[in-house]
Amino acid sequence: MRSLSSFPPLFSKEWRELTASRAYWLLLLAVGPLVGHGFINAVNLYAEASGVGGRPAALPQGLTPLDGMLAPTFGAYDLAVTLLFPFVAIRSIAAEKESGALKLALQFPFSVGEMVAAKLLALATGWLIAWLPGLIAVAMWRAYGGHLYALETLNLLLGHWLRMLLSAGVATAAAALAESAASAAIVTLGFTLGTWALDFIAAGRGGWLAALASYTPTAALRFFEQGLLRLSVVIVILALASAGLAIAAIWLHIGRKPGARLLRSVVLLGFIAAIVWLGSISRASWDLSENRRNSFSRADEVALRRVREPLRITINLAAEDPRLMDYERGILNKLRRILPRLEVDYAAQTRTGLFEGAEERYGEIWYELGGRKVMNRSTTGPIVVEQLYQLAGITAPANSDEPVFPGYPLAAHPKGASMIFYALWPLAVISIWGLARRQRR
Amino acid sequence: MNLLTVNGLSKQFGARTVLQNVSFSVRQGEVLGLIGPNGAGKTTLFECLAGILPSDGGALRMNEQGLAPTQRKTALFYMPDGVTPWERQSVNWAVGFFERVYAGPIKATELLNTLKLESLRHARIGSLSKGERKRLLLAMGLLTSQPLLMLDEPFDGLDLLQTRDVMALLRSQTGRGRTLMLSIHQLVDAARVCDRLILLSDGRVVGEGTIDELRAQANLSDGGLPEARLEEIFLALT
Repeated sequence: MRSLSSFPPLFSKEWRELTASRAYWLLLLAVGPLVGHGFINAVNLYAEASGVGGRPAALPQGLTPLDGMLAPTFGAYDLAVTLLFPFVAIRSIAAEKESGALKLALQFPFSVGEMVAAKLLALATGWLIAWLPGLIAVAMWRAYGGHLYALETLNLLLGHWLRMLLSAGVATAAAALAESAASAAIVTLGFTLGTWALDFIAAGRGGWLAALASYTPTAALRFFEQGLLRLSVVIVILALASAGLAIAAIWLHIGRKPGARLLRSVVLLGFIAAIVWLGSISRASWDLSENRRNSFSRADEVALRRVREPLRITINLAAEDPRLMDYERGILNKLRRILPRLEVDYAAQTRTGLFEGAEERYGEIWYELGGRKVMNRSTTGPIVVEQLYQLAGITAPANSDEPVFPGYPLAAHPKGASMIFYALWPLAVISIWGLARRQRR
Repeated sequence: MNLLTVNGLSKQFGARTVLQNVSFSVRQGEVLGLIGPNGAGKTTLFECLAGILPSDGGALRMNEQGLAPTQRKTALFYMPDGVTPWERQSVNWAVGFFERVYAGPIKATELLNTLKLESLRHARIGSLSKGERKRLLLAMGLLTSQPLLMLDEPFDGLDLLQTRDVMALLRSQTGRGRTLMLSIHQLVDAARVCDRLILLSDGRVVGEGTIDELRAQANLSDGGLPEARLEEIFLALT
């Protein structure tokens, strides 16, 4: 019971330290205009596509609030969590290390794990406050008459929270391991750049590299932005974030010999690697998008689930070929969700595809099932599915009577948004910052 | 009766030996002084005892029971010298925080008055002078509840009057059942406030006991210096 009763003062200390840090207030200050910029641009673009000024909407079915407003508006948080939030998290540990407060804190009647948990809780509370502009944007969207689908909205918010947890894990681990805040910032930035490089290198490739790249923060967030909730992504991101926090707890325990800390870290990383592996083989996923963009029609899904043999797809399209991107999004991602034994081979040798013409196989997509092989160049869903039915000897289901996604055009102006995000929010942050400084005394 | 017994404590930083087979005991309710020149290993010894720096060898016993590094914070508290913790917070918050965490017998307001920090309640810790900060660290240390309190250079930065008051305050703690271990640079101060002394030189204990006992250990009692001061004893033992 000691932990429960002693946690409030510990959390209170971390909260005070967070609100005493300039980095946090600068994050709050920046996040309003960043969100505002994303929101205003998104609403304007959405209005243009929706036929602003009385013109008809260009393609109503393509107008989803998830793509049109939520993803670009909350994209500001991806930027903030990548470039600003790590400094706030690093400071929460580095300041205590550098000022000598850590020597006192280690003697408090709390475990190091409790200390790190309190820091995380304070950071999460601070991040929740930083979400106010995003929530204001959502409320304004509703006030303009915009539509929202709860499941895909909550799924996107979950993705951003997982992103924050991962960032907190990496930053706290770096701060605990590094000598100074500056070194920790370099390590964290290096991690971010490394994941970007991995994303780039793995694009259009299969195998373990592509599997690994699907868990980088950017790639993981992309699933949520598409309305997809993948259990493997949730498990892997939570495991990696926990690993970072646990590493921080291990290395902040400066009373232990470095060798003992290293051994604990190795054991921990082995354990986390096992969880990551177990998590990554989970195929459970839920398409929470309103327009079911990550799924074939229900009838097609029932039919395709009858394919029991392994399906091998060999794609002769380069990573930067837009057809491959269409194929990934429109077909492969859907097939991966319903075919447990799908193997994809990316056969193109270059990134752009510009110099692959000589092989005369460029553009071909081969399907192999039960010893039968067939080639098709199409990247269009219904054609590919039809091809698969033929290959598997399955009768295509009758035309689906599922309701067609209507789309939600909205020709609204972002009225009042500039005032709120560019003027009122910064003013409020600066005022509360000043008040908080005075109240600390 | 011994509260704490230290046996064969050693510590190396790379090839440099900082503590070498350090053994001594701390008696219940005493003020024990740890004296030695700069670089003698006083701070390292405190940090090893507190468990915030790993030692390479040796063992601690508290009330005749083994005291593992993970148990140290239940038995002793070490207040370092020269730290400026939570510099953006106020003095009031810092003492209030220690009071809430430890819920010891002394009240924060009482200590603020005694240490003349009352007028600085709302000052930022980072804005305090060296002496003010030292008094705050003392207040924070005295608000802890562990049986043994170790203070690194408790009089450093204090003027004569403040030193005298703090000495009286520290002495009064033993009456409340607290045991104190003080690392003191100024030998005159050490002689005034401590019941017993440990002399540390080059990471080794070169003497332990009251001034009379140390004088005897240094063979100064019969050697023509029966009134030898601590400086002379220290020089004779090192």
